[in-house]
Amino acid sequence: MRHPKRIGRMSAPGRKVRLASAAMLLVATTMTACGEGKDDGEKASAPKAPATIPELTKDPLTLSFIWFDWPPAKALEAFANAEYKKERPNATIKVNTVPNANWHDAMFTQFAARKTDFDIAILDSQHIGEAVTNGNILDLTDFVKENIDVAAYNPYLLAAYGQFPQAETGKRDENASLYGLPLLGDTWTMIYRKDLIGDKPPQTWDQMIAAAEKCQADNPGVSGLAFHQANGSDAAAVTYNTVNGVYGGNLWDSKTRKIDGVINDAAGQEAMDVLVNKMKPLTAKGSGNWFIDEVNAAVAQGKACIAFNWIAASGGLLDPKQSTLGTSREQILDKLGFATLPSQKTNLVPLGGMGMHVSAYSATANQTEALNFMKWFERADIQKKWAAAGGVPSRTDALESPEFLNAGPFNQVYTDSVPRMRDMWNVPEYARLVDIENTNVNAALNGAKKPKDALDDIAKEQQGVLDSSSRKGGGGL
Amino acid sequence: MAVSVDEAVSTGPTRDHTPPARRLGGRGRSVLEVALLTVLAVVMLFPVLWMIETSIKENRDVYAIPAKFFDFKITLEHYKDVFVDPDGGRSALSVAFLNSVVVAGVSTVLATVLGVPAAWAYSRFAVKAKKDQLFFILSTRFMPPVVVVVPIFLMYRQVGLIDNKLGLILIYTAFNVPFTIWMMKGFVDEVPAEYEDAAMLDGYTRLQAFRLFTLPLLVPGIAATAVFALIFSWNEFVFATFLTSSDDVRTAPPAIAGLIGGTTTDWGLVAAASVVFALPVLVFAYLVRKHLIAGVTLGAVRR
Amino acid sequence: MAFISPAMLLLLAMSVFPLLWALYLSFTDYSATRGGPANFIGFGNYTAILTSAQVHTRALTTLIYVVGAVGLQTVLGFGIAYLISRRTHGRGVLTTLFLVPMMLSPVVVGLFWRFMLDAQFGVVNSMLGSVGLGQVEWLTRQRTALLSLIVVDTWQWTPFIMLIALAGLTAVPKYLYEAASIDRASEWFRFRTITLPLVWPLLLIAVMFRAIEAFRLFDLVYILTNGGPGVSTETLSFHIYKVAFLGFNTGTASAYGILMVLVVIVLTQFYLRYLNKLKEG
Repeated sequence: MRHPKRIGRMSAPGRKVRLASAAMLLVATTMTACGEGKDDGEKASAPKAPATIPELTKDPLTLSFIWFDWPPAKALEAFANAEYKKERPNATIKVNTVPNANWHDAMFTQFAARKTDFDIAILDSQHIGEAVTNGNILDLTDFVKENIDVAAYNPYLLAAYGQFPQAETGKRDENASLYGLPLLGDTWTMIYRKDLIGDKPPQTWDQMIAAAEKCQADNPGVSGLAFHQANGSDAAAVTYNTVNGVYGGNLWDSKTRKIDGVINDAAGQEAMDVLVNKMKPLTAKGSGNWFIDEVNAAVAQGKACIAFNWIAASGGLLDPKQSTLGTSREQILDKLGFATLPSQKTNLVPLGGMGMHVSAYSATANQTEALNFMKWFERADIQKKWAAAGGVPSRTDALESPEFLNAGPFNQVYTDSVPRMRDMWNVPEYARLVDIENTNVNAALNGAKKPKDALDDIAKEQQGVLDSSSRKGGGGL
Repeated sequence: MAVSVDEAVSTGPTRDHTPPARRLGGRGRSVLEVALLTVLAVVMLFPVLWMIETSIKENRDVYAIPAKFFDFKITLEHYKDVFVDPDGGRSALSVAFLNSVVVAGVSTVLATVLGVPAAWAYSRFAVKAKKDQLFFILSTRFMPPVVVVVPIFLMYRQVGLIDNKLGLILIYTAFNVPFTIWMMKGFVDEVPAEYEDAAMLDGYTRLQAFRLFTLPLLVPGIAATAVFALIFSWNEFVFATFLTSSDDVRTAPPAIAGLIGGTTTDWGLVAAASVVFALPVLVFAYLVRKHLIAGVTLGAVRR
Repeated sequence: MAFISPAMLLLLAMSVFPLLWALYLSFTDYSATRGGPANFIGFGNYTAILTSAQVHTRALTTLIYVVGAVGLQTVLGFGIAYLISRRTHGRGVLTTLFLVPMMLSPVVVGLFWRFMLDAQFGVVNSMLGSVGLGQVEWLTRQRTALLSLIVVDTWQWTPFIMLIALAGLTAVPKYLYEAASIDRASEWFRFRTITLPLVWPLLLIAVMFRAIEAFRLFDLVYILTNGGPGVSTETLSFHIYKVAFLGFNTGTASAYGILMVLVVIVLTQFYLRYLNKLKEG
């Protein structure tokens, strides 16, 4: 403004800069536009993995996994680098980890980018539907037929970690396609204070609640129960689903895709009532945002009589450095007992754990290596070694082997629980369904909603998500 | 669109003088005011002190009920854990700190290099619809990060910038350029244009005049502006969370947030990591304390 | 302009282009993960968002939060600034100390308050307990959770208001007070007629900046309450995050975001216009 007439002077260097920038922008825009067009034409379906493993590369190769940050991830990396290297000296295993809260987002944003920095995605069983529908992971059906002894597994484990559609019924469909193989099995264990409620764990859900009630009354400062109530991940949802299963309820009718009227039927209502009105009053004040680590902390600090947690996350409880229950593993185990969940109308337990799934976007050499790794990992001897290294195997022979059963006080619990498992829906809409359930159960547990309203809202909103195929905008609200 | 924030504010030219002497109430009131200030200061600083205290406590004392304020054993284990992995080698956190240094550093340099000349030009030359342009520049800064992250994500996936430090650097630069322009325009306005005019009469080109005469006078302003850009990039969380997925790229804020939500939460480590993370920012903020007001309001408010 | 264009081009590429793209997507049912074509659905997303009860709930939560937090920090920030401005000694030290919370990353602030507000072993309840008050469920009850968010935001951003108010207070010309004191005006009268009118415009600017920031709050919610209990502390930004990254409903999320940007721009314009009128009047 002050020197308008001098503008022309410096245009020479300026023009170059401007041109360069303009060119950059143009290139970026064009590339984006083109890429977009290609996307639109793509048909979403999972590409097939070869039936037999092609020739493996002789060059050095890094096989990358993605998982969330917890002890089994470190165990897997150490185990695979120690053992798999014996077979394939040129391969290095890297297990990338993200915070648990970002796990789904981190994998699926990379899938969305059609470019992944991992070769094997460790998907939660319920993520399979979304990944398959989007064509993000390889179809392993032919590969499994040729390379894996399916008879060596409880069929449900193969179904839960690999099959799509529909695996939550507890049965495997021999004709359905498989997209993954088991990596780490898991379920809830009941953790109870032997010194407070006795050596014998309660057998029914009613007994469990009664024992917790008595224990809480007898021991001021110690609460009767500790379990997952948080509204993130799948915390509160798994809790409700577990009680729902134990009280004979169902999450949905998968054939008719009906949720409304199923999850909130009489059994579902009873389960919600038990959870909110009988179990919640026995938990610590302010425990309404607890998940894995808070439950562990409560147990380790001696603040809970009975707790529920994932087996794979319970190892830390035996660490004297983090516990006030004893100064050695033995002392802690004198006080802590691990048992399968009590039963009531049914004996269902929640299925946890994850499978291995091959990214459709990683390089062929890496995909080949991934297949080879999976075949190796599912061998009988390796499954036993994995068990000894702290992992939870899936082959029946490994589950019943002394290597597994002696590796941890909760491993027998897992083996006993395998025939009793039930999973959630593994439909593509999983992330939305679980969020609806999480937030509503969490609201009911914390008095932000009446239990019945929360359950009806879950039913209505989840049904809305399943039925929204013919929507006119506003999906996902 | 022609309303600028500058017009809305005008403050007197004087500063740093003593307010009028207390007349009413005298000493009693003065004591009360000092007491009130002390209480407020304690309340404001307590969380910071508690953070430092937690970072040097052993874990069993961290969970103690009632809380232990003085009577605890001091340990530096948590600080060691910030930098060293339990099985030796560098921890993921220390890699994240390093990533933060690179991303925040480079984006700040870029924002300065792009922003300062633009600010100079806006200050010195007639630019068509200048006010509109300036408001537009400012408004790009108003967008909620969660909103921008979706299209940025789509754009980045086409050019392979997801989970890439360059991607973060570019987006932070873009967020800092408006700020740099607004801040620096104010500083340039304060340097009389006559210096450059005189130099040009001596035969220097416009650019040389800027470089040799104006720029040296702008150095303190540039430093202050750069520090604020640095603090923004250093603390940023939303883009860092959604645009990174591997340890090699992840910056410190999502890495620290990732410390909770595993199977156990080591609050001592969280506290130590927070202290280590906050320290550079506090040091830099102390260095630019004179320019804080202009800094936090994008230069809209200046003393 | 050669000096402006590189910066402008970067803004065009990184701010305007994404925004235009979001604008385009907001009229479609596009999903970033499902692939498939983006079908044009007109204003479908917009009407769905504007009529959604879920969105109204979040809007109300956000409004309560913005008004509560910005109101509280304005009063507190101005109060502290006023008290500091009346000190002759140690002003610099005091100001610097009070500024510390503002410099911290929202991540650090969120994590740490989550730790301090823990109902079982948090230091806040521990202190309440030692003076004989019971435990408060800071983060897991509907009312207290939103209150906690407001308190934490106030803790972090009161210094911001304080800083700006202090700039205004120290800029009040001394002679005005001297004149008033000759007139034997009461202190309250001096405050109301001299101090406040001079500081007021500055304070309003500060409030505007804070309101814009608070309106788009995301990180604190993400870390402190994750939107809970239920969805009672989900802000608009947090809701967008869920729409965009849980169901990958990119079209809806884009429309939602565009609406938020529109609200900010329109309100800012009105506010600035009001400020200018205030200044002229």
